[in-house]
Amino acid sequence: MAALGARRLLRPGRRWFSDTVPSAPSPPASPLYPPVVASITAKSKAAKSRRLQRFNQRVHEAATVEEKLRLYGKLQRPKYTVYPQTFALNADRWYRSFTKTVLVPGMPPRAAAAKPPVATAGATSETGRAPEPRAEAPGHAEAAGEVEVAANAEAPGAAKTPEPSAGVAPCPDIGELRSLACDALLQESFYQNKKRPFLYRDQDHTPGPFLTQLVSTLAASLSGHNPLLAASSLDLNPEVNYYWHHGNEVVVHGHRKGRVDPVRFQIDDNPHLQIRVPKQLPEVVPLESDLGDVPVIDHKPSKLPLFKKQYENKVFIGTKVADPCCYGHTQFHLLPDRLKRERFIKERLEDQIEVVYRSNGIASLFAWTAAQAMYQGFWNEADVTRPFVSQAVVTDGKYFAFFCYQLNTLALNAETIKNNPRKNICWGTDSKPLYDVVEDGNVKGFNDEVLLQLVHFLLNRPKEL
Amino acid sequence: YPLFQRGGPQLRIFRPNFFMVAVRPGVPQPEDTVQFRVSMEMTKLDIRNYLERIYNVPVAAVRTRIQYGANNKRNHRNQRVKKPDYKVAYVQLGQGQTFQFPNLFPEKEQDTETRSFDDYRDKYMEKEKQKEEGDPRRGGVPDWFGL
Repeated sequence: MAALGARRLLRPGRRWFSDTVPSAPSPPASPLYPPVVASITAKSKAAKSRRLQRFNQRVHEAATVEEKLRLYGKLQRPKYTVYPQTFALNADRWYRSFTKTVLVPGMPPRAAAAKPPVATAGATSETGRAPEPRAEAPGHAEAAGEVEVAANAEAPGAAKTPEPSAGVAPCPDIGELRSLACDALLQESFYQNKKRPFLYRDQDHTPGPFLTQLVSTLAASLSGHNPLLAASSLDLNPEVNYYWHHGNEVVVHGHRKGRVDPVRFQIDDNPHLQIRVPKQLPEVVPLESDLGDVPVIDHKPSKLPLFKKQYENKVFIGTKVADPCCYGHTQFHLLPDRLKRERFIKERLEDQIEVVYRSNGIASLFAWTAAQAMYQGFWNEADVTRPFVSQAVVTDGKYFAFFCYQLNTLALNAETIKNNPRKNICWGTDSKPLYDVVEDGNVKGFNDEVLLQLVHFLLNRPKEL
Repeated sequence: YPLFQRGGPQLRIFRPNFFMVAVRPGVPQPEDTVQFRVSMEMTKLDIRNYLERIYNVPVAAVRTRIQYGANNKRNHRNQRVKKPDYKVAYVQLGQGQTFQFPNLFPEKEQDTETRSFDDYRDKYMEKEKQKEEGDPRRGGVPDWFGL
């Protein structure tokens, strides 16, 4: 009976006066409950941030660059169209604030230090001079113009003693290049019989073909000195597009009124010519350098004036992703007729002439370098690990302005810009005339400095080559 | 004004009947932008010439738009009452000049007499309100309720 009672009392599962020692509860192999996170579909800020994180995860895990670009520009909303060639007043200040760019006047120091030797007319006198240390040249070559020419003149003396890299032909002859430039100019403006240009088509009539001819002949003749040019690809009238977010705004009208949205921008640019190369140009300054301040503009971009439109969010450098020449070297921009110097002088807006060149340089180069970075898989959540450098020449046929851009950061939207100390840097010169006037088969007042700067731009290459 | 035809004389207006009203912008504008309400017949060229010739103000750029006045309000006869349309001009000043719309109603400096009078008045109003409310210890129950 006692055994029966004991058995009845001893319910299954209960250990009563048993010998076995209760062991410590073993940690479960997997957690019993799913992790407590915010909902995905709720109308709350936590849910919105979780949806954003899921989207970022999706883009990070995309297999190919094309898939990343497709997801990045999938959602279409009204965005500001930024035109690089614009009549808006003080546009370069606004563009610098949109792209977080610092503008440094003059050409970067590496343009003087790393210049390969170019034979000038008076080169023989410099051979006897003691070679100047390369480190001194950056300190002197801050301002463009005469100092640059002096540095150019000294660099041959310094660089002649160390021989140029193997496989590259020695010094290009400036006289030959000058005759090439003058030939192109005279052919287009003097020798060829052209009818009068149609209204507002002056730029397509003479300066356009002259620029194409000049660049193609110079690039062809300098490809012997610069192997990068020999492997490059020259595009005629390509398309460059870039889409990005910067800052936040509250939606004013419509069914989405009151919501906080990122401010979206799109650049659609058509440079006159473009040179793309298979290897990246070397960095000018380290990634984290701080060379100035970015202007902060509190007003809405529509006060510039800038207008919103909704269409495809395109990111394009000129070719598709699979092209081997996926890095940029130099762009050439031709200013249209409505932005001619004479029109600005007639309206008494002389200070806006330089603004036009600067805004064109900054906007186009930002779009090109950022699109190149996106082609390598970087985007605003995955910031660039190495700087992307490109060059541009903005001209209206006679006056040339040179720009060099270093992209240090792509993270420009509201969350990623908070802890991002990096800034993009643009070096730019003022516009200088290449020649004074063309008369009777002669080019009067040819400016060698401008041609020299152009040649140095084309000869720019990474150090390994 | 007479329509211009080729070969005709340039239209010159010596004492225009237009007037422009500088207004405070509803949304913040950049420093070099002034907002005007102008006559509906004025063009951008007219505005530029008006400011430059009569007032010697350097004008860099002019942008205009027409504001539609609403037609929703109804009067006592249920007829729709239209608010008039007007043209707004945004003028960007040249030569780096800036403009900030002034504060037309600044706070006036109060002397001690008015300040003490204001304090006395506020205290009196507070006492009156408390009298009206009644005893706070009764918890909102009116005075006439009781035994």
